[in-house]
Amino acid sequence: MSEEKIIEIRDLTRIYGDGAPIRALDGVNLDIERGEFLAIIGPSGSGKSTLLHQIGILDTPTSGTILLNGVDITKMSDRERSRMRNEELGFIFQYHHLLPDFNALENVMMPLLISGVKPSRARKIAREMLEEVGLADREGHRPNQLSGGQNQRVAIARALANSPDIVIGDEPTGNLDSRASDNIYELLRRLNREHNQTFILVTHDEQMAKKTDRIIRLVDGRVVEDSG
Amino acid sequence: MFELDIAMKHIRSRQRQTLFSIIAVALAVAIIIVSMSMMSGYMSILIDSTVENQAHITIMPGKDEDYIHLYRGLEDHIHNLEGVLAVSSYFQGEAALQYRHDVEGVVLYGINPYDENRVVNREDDMLAGEFASLERPGSRIVVGLRLARNLGVGMGDTVTARGPGAEPTDFTITGIFATGTQADETTAYANLERLQDFYGARDVVTGVGVRVSDVYTAEELAKRIDRETGYDATSWIRQNAEILSMLETSESMVFFFYVIIFTISGFGIANILIMIVMEKVGEIGMLMAMGTSRRSIMLIFLLEAGILGMTGVIIGSVLGYIAAMAIASITIPVPPGMYFGMDHLPIVIEPGNFVTAGVFAMVINLIAGAYPARRASRMDPVEAIHHV
Repeated sequence: MSEEKIIEIRDLTRIYGDGAPIRALDGVNLDIERGEFLAIIGPSGSGKSTLLHQIGILDTPTSGTILLNGVDITKMSDRERSRMRNEELGFIFQYHHLLPDFNALENVMMPLLISGVKPSRARKIAREMLEEVGLADREGHRPNQLSGGQNQRVAIARALANSPDIVIGDEPTGNLDSRASDNIYELLRRLNREHNQTFILVTHDEQMAKKTDRIIRLVDGRVVEDSG
Repeated sequence: MFELDIAMKHIRSRQRQTLFSIIAVALAVAIIIVSMSMMSGYMSILIDSTVENQAHITIMPGKDEDYIHLYRGLEDHIHNLEGVLAVSSYFQGEAALQYRHDVEGVVLYGINPYDENRVVNREDDMLAGEFASLERPGSRIVVGLRLARNLGVGMGDTVTARGPGAEPTDFTITGIFATGTQADETTAYANLERLQDFYGARDVVTGVGVRVSDVYTAEELAKRIDRETGYDATSWIRQNAEILSMLETSESMVFFFYVIIFTISGFGIANILIMIVMEKVGEIGMLMAMGTSRRSIMLIFLLEAGILGMTGVIIGSVLGYIAAMAIASITIPVPPGMYFGMDHLPIVIEPGNFVTAGVFAMVINLIAGAYPARRASRMDPVEAIHHV
């Protein structure tokens, strides 16, 4: 594993609301290196999802900075943020959020098409990704024809299609039974090893968190534990 | 163009609702095309009958003069102007025609039938006799159909004409015409020289009628004649300014209804798009997370509005064409001589009407799509993703 810092978070604060403001994040400092596989845990309302949305450039902080690959993402235009999300980040949510009208292959192709890759090449890459998550024989199936675990695998293939530097998982196994959960975890772990991509998972699941390389525990918007 | 892929899938995922919104647009387009075609047809019939029955340019004596002197020279001059097809000098006077105990006031025209026919195609309107019978100088007269009825006269009957300062003179009816206009009741024709004698005004006329090849250049030509000859030349456009401006007014009234019809169909489009946007909130959030720009999100929904609208326009144009043709083929029993002799609803199918209706519909549909598209593009990705 290299020592290259891929994420540098400094004094990150996110306050919601005006009347009775809620400090969802309160001066968070965090460095994450390329290829790390880490979990962010904490009780409900501790700010772990908020932190994830900040790293995923889905939300803007009230103050503080986030450097992704050395670039300050808090000062970007909407278009730059979109491009960055498309090329550098892959998202896996608790609910798979696959486009229901598209089949598995088309769903995995989507991030590639958004970034302007030609359909023929996007199809080839998407096939490889589906193969990696073990769903090569399901490419023509739509989300409603696949099980929860299978859909989540398609979502993982989609998150990795554009070879992002950072893969973000917000409770990626939250909707699955324990067996499917384990399978997904193993899959993520394997992909992390094979592609040396950074995986950041928010989870409630302490069992799963223990299997990661590093655990960041948040309470009331502050990092209270950082064990590697 | 992944935006188009997504737009198409959204439309396909809601087939029944999208079908209805397409039908709404199609019906609006079809109704408006039929209405425009009828409007065009009515307009062209009105203009045709006006320019057929009337001199395109009428030249009257100059200010403070009663007559045009040396009219043959004027005729030659006008004949040589570009775009002039025919010229006919006439002597117009008022007279009372009497047959037995019936008397009718008429406008009596002294004409050269050959020239006059070339200007107003009067020979085509003859119900009995020949217009050309006025060629030979003699006391012959051609009268309008309703005038003949009012007097109770027929072919070969003799009527007595009385005019201010003129000797009562007998004329024999050698023709009856019907144009379907007011002229049928008030107009009679006689030989020019005979009438000049009757009114005691030799070698002068009261007006010159001109027919031109392109009726829409008449106004320009009239102005030129006015300038060059010093006589008072008026085009049919100016003479019928009231009718033409009434047509324009009714067109703008109808336009108002078009806007209402299209707006209603636009609501159909807006409705289906708002429904799709509400249903696809999570999907929109995920598309944003995958790096779809707000502009692309907007484009997706505008494309949907465009595709639905375009499909509606195409279907509506075909429907409108078929309906217009069907209406045009229906014969309506109308007494001859009324409504300009029409026995069909006047329908003129003009490509311009299809373009106008289509463009108009598309503009309104895109406006209808703008609100939902904007709403989708402004969503907060975090909220959208967690909205299930």
